[in-house]
Amino acid sequence: MAELFTLPVLVGILYSGIRLATPYLFAAIGETFAQRSGVLNLGVEGIMLMGAFSGFYVGMKTGSPWLGLLAAAVVGILMGLLMSFISITMQAEQGISGIGLHLFGLGLSSLLFKTTMGGVESIEGFKAVRIPLLADIPYVGESLFNHNLLVYAAFLLVPLSTWVLNKTTLGLKIRAVGQNPQAADTLGVNVTRVRYFCVCLGGMLAGIAGASLSIALINLFQENMTNGMGFIAVALVYFGGWRPLGVMGGALLFSFVNAFQLWIQVKGINIPSDFAIMMPYVLTILALAFATKRAQGPAALSKPYERGEN
Amino acid sequence: MTRYLSSGRPILEEMRMQGIVKRFPGVLANDHVDFDVRTGEVHALLGENGAGKSTLMRQLYGMYKPDEGKILIDGKEMHFNSPQDAINAGIGMIHQHFMLVPGLTVVENIALGLKSSRGPVLDLDRVEKRVLELGEQYGLKVDPRAYVWQLAVGEQQRIEIIKALYRGASLLVLDEPTAVLTPQEVDDLFVTFKRMASEGHALIFISHKLNEVLAISNRITVLRDGKNAGTRPNENVTRVELAQMMVGRPVILQYNRPPVEAGPVRLRIQDLHVRGDRGKDAVDGVSLEICGGEILGLAGVSGNGQRELAEALAGMRPVRQGRIILNDKEVTNGSPLQHINVGQSYIPEERMKEGAIREFSVADNMILADHGKKPYSRHTFLDFKAIREQVGKIVSDFNVKTPSLDTPVKNLSGGNIQKLILGRELSRCPSVLIASQPTRGVDIGASEYIHQRLLEQRLCGTATLLISEDLDEIRALSDRIAVMYEGRIIGIVDSKDATPDRLGLMMAGVETA
Amino acid sequence: MNSKFSRIVVLIVLAAMLVAGCAPQATEVPSTVFKVAIVMPSSITDMAFSQSMYEGLKKVQAEMGGESAMEIAYSENMFKVPDAAAAIRDYASKGYNLVIAHGSQYGTSLQQIAPDFPKTAFAWGTSLDTFQAEGINNVFAYQAEAQEGGYVLGVVAAMMSKSNIIGETGPVDAGDAKLYIEGFQKGVLATKPDAQVSVTYTGSFSDVSLMATAAETHIAAGADMLTGSSQSVVGAIGICKDKGAFWFGTQWDQTSLAPEAVIASQVYDWTGIIKDMIASVKAGVMGGKGYTLTFKNGGLVIAYNPAITVPAEVKAAADAAIAAINDGAIAP
Repeated sequence: MAELFTLPVLVGILYSGIRLATPYLFAAIGETFAQRSGVLNLGVEGIMLMGAFSGFYVGMKTGSPWLGLLAAAVVGILMGLLMSFISITMQAEQGISGIGLHLFGLGLSSLLFKTTMGGVESIEGFKAVRIPLLADIPYVGESLFNHNLLVYAAFLLVPLSTWVLNKTTLGLKIRAVGQNPQAADTLGVNVTRVRYFCVCLGGMLAGIAGASLSIALINLFQENMTNGMGFIAVALVYFGGWRPLGVMGGALLFSFVNAFQLWIQVKGINIPSDFAIMMPYVLTILALAFATKRAQGPAALSKPYERGEN
Repeated sequence: MTRYLSSGRPILEEMRMQGIVKRFPGVLANDHVDFDVRTGEVHALLGENGAGKSTLMRQLYGMYKPDEGKILIDGKEMHFNSPQDAINAGIGMIHQHFMLVPGLTVVENIALGLKSSRGPVLDLDRVEKRVLELGEQYGLKVDPRAYVWQLAVGEQQRIEIIKALYRGASLLVLDEPTAVLTPQEVDDLFVTFKRMASEGHALIFISHKLNEVLAISNRITVLRDGKNAGTRPNENVTRVELAQMMVGRPVILQYNRPPVEAGPVRLRIQDLHVRGDRGKDAVDGVSLEICGGEILGLAGVSGNGQRELAEALAGMRPVRQGRIILNDKEVTNGSPLQHINVGQSYIPEERMKEGAIREFSVADNMILADHGKKPYSRHTFLDFKAIREQVGKIVSDFNVKTPSLDTPVKNLSGGNIQKLILGRELSRCPSVLIASQPTRGVDIGASEYIHQRLLEQRLCGTATLLISEDLDEIRALSDRIAVMYEGRIIGIVDSKDATPDRLGLMMAGVETA
Repeated sequence: MNSKFSRIVVLIVLAAMLVAGCAPQATEVPSTVFKVAIVMPSSITDMAFSQSMYEGLKKVQAEMGGESAMEIAYSENMFKVPDAAAAIRDYASKGYNLVIAHGSQYGTSLQQIAPDFPKTAFAWGTSLDTFQAEGINNVFAYQAEAQEGGYVLGVVAAMMSKSNIIGETGPVDAGDAKLYIEGFQKGVLATKPDAQVSVTYTGSFSDVSLMATAAETHIAAGADMLTGSSQSVVGAIGICKDKGAFWFGTQWDQTSLAPEAVIASQVYDWTGIIKDMIASVKAGVMGGKGYTLTFKNGGLVIAYNPAITVPAEVKAAADAAIAAINDGAIAP
């Protein structure tokens, strides 16, 4: 057991955990906006897949990961628009529409992959950018400050979204619409527009989350490569109590424990691999069970708003 | 010449609604209504539930569009497509169900939807300063940084008013603003109203309470069945006349309550503790005794444990500590059926949730509790002929207006459903009756009828616990009045000593000797 | 009214898309054609287990004379067993001559389905159980002796490793992956008894991200030679490329993903087995045979990456290991 608490292992966990957390952060913070405005989007996974594919494909064809990123963002917004139209304008049941969107993204990304590429290929994605001085900090510098741009962006998103939600007029509207859309409506806030904005923003970030896998972290596309990350991202929103900081805590906990359990296996600690694999899930559930009481969710979550209903 | 409020906003001299018609599927909610209000006055809009008051005002506030008719402000015709348009025209509305976001602070609620002086970034300090100024000016005390969910209803209402004033409202619509307040809070609110009117605001005060309307308004308009039943200046009208305008026929407001010799104690409650939905004791040590032939009124601001007490007495909520003794039999934590079997009847507060099954017919609802007994059942089978006979009799005895016995109750009006429930519960000849908010949301005509039946039960020797937030009702019917505050009985007074002032103080938690 | 209607329309459209996406991709062909259907847990482009079988079928089809002689229908990404079972039953009832359940997790379902379609031949892998003991006679079984190639690649890895630390990462500790990983480990330790071999499992066949992190972890722990099994290893290969470590593939030739990092792959060639099954069915034998892929019967092939020079003595050692496996001197 002692060999787990050596410097190289801890530094390795820090490095891997931060990379693992990146896609979760993008997707879960995007979903935080959607849910804060009262829309439960379970289609994050499907949007991630579409973002991963379009980011990869455009990146491969143009040779520019930046254009790939842009493509993933645009596709994410379009998927967000589709979700908004179904769940806000048409007022379809949000859980069902989200699942539909997931299956749609899963199927369409596979289909596009087969027809355009046919086989797995890899590309040069975003390169690691070493931040001078900071990366020279002994021990942790390399783990924290030698990543690609999307990793930094994911973590910068946390204070930025906290600020938007709490300190801007837009954030105030988002919070109000998610809690009491009728009250916001009576004060002249356009509930539909705010919700469209948030769901599309969430879609954009989910698209970028997918692209962070395909053009920054793993640099290839494979069918269904997100493998349930989108659903874990939705769970992280609850875990984080609808606050970006809490979401980050959840994402890091999950990722660090995952990185830790791999080290347990690599170091040959004598426990069955199945137990190691279970650890991040078990720990997350435990943390959720103990933390659940403090946060109140958006009261109007998953309820469509129609003027004139009491 | 334009005049200005002290805030610098122009005064809205006159608002006039002409020939307003609003139809909903199957309902003519407003039928050619004329209504107007002028600067400096309080104009009351009086009417039963469903008379069309809220619908009329929602059109003024841009939430609905009128099917016919015009809205004129200072002579100019307005077309409001959303509340924002109405707000821009200087109209503010205080809704009956507060339009506040509980998870936001007071200043956040007020700043919501407004432009900030710092562009996209909130400037809550500036908002706070202005809120405090307005509070000072109109006598509306609030804590700007508190979260709304932490505040009592009276304070939430003050925020609603400040919210409208902050937006420069010159004309304020107040939809049933007194429904949730204690008498003292109502007095304070009226002081604010007067101050606002003298500043040059115009106020529309929606209510169904005759006393309040007479106490504050300059003019009174009565709506009945969607039509304007008349507009009168305050000086020229009496309570009885107003009631008659509301109902469309003469009504009795003062009941005859002859003395009855008190019978034995029928309901005995000893040190009762009951948990509320939030896990704390909502009923925190209540002891009461009610004798046969007595109506004990239980007053109090809503949310002080009355509902939990009623549910515990009906056997629908577990008792944590203490005893309930009905007709000398202990029924603590007994099932609802056990309560029924020792002679108790229960009229629940939520008539559509607990009192009746929406989709069931009138007849089926009538036999809900007694379907296993004579005369409804013979050899375990329902006897439909007997059921129809008996139910038909109750329906006619209790004056329930229904197209047939097979009509689903959801198609009946609130008053008729309540009479149906009353009929079912009283036809059992109970010796103890728990009546929780028996006339809430019921029109004056039906209330009057229900009150008469409760008084008849009193004469027959029933012990009645009447739980109500309507002080007029409590005072008109009860022999003794208990006031509940934060889960306890803060005092019991004889009906003839119970002035509204005294009850009001007790409802606010002040014990009076 | 109107909005409810449009809501329904949207839902129907979505449902139609779903159905279209899931339906087995088959077309009506005259019955003289030999019809093969395959249900597999991942995609035909997974660069691993599913692709190896699908490409094998395509090759046999080309040899037999194209689509007029043999029709192939497939359902991919059937990672949920109930969905796979439904697809298997569907193909059988549509009259396919041979229905392949390409995943050891489909066994229980197949055992229930096969007796209902005695005129259809089924094949199940990887496993060696044809259910004959249960009285079922229309199921073939097939398995790759993945440990054989694992052993040989282990020999190569051990000889080429400088750090003498080798990392292996698989999906779950069972089946084909377990055979391969244990064989590889044996090959390494037989060559360099003092080498250190670490094994991780991610718990998922498709979690590319975690597989990449597993590779990252092995490399951080000092490994310079890595291998792994399942379609999710594409993530690990990318990490090897970035970090300058080397990779050994299995099931399919994974060189194209990272020509600078993949030294060699064990490739599954199912064509011999497929041809024998088809011949059997045509001769009226509907099942009961168990097949294995081995070096000896040509079902396993080591494909070296021409872009990376493997020293001659290493190749010689690998060939010697294959010869020893073939004559039984080594049992990996």
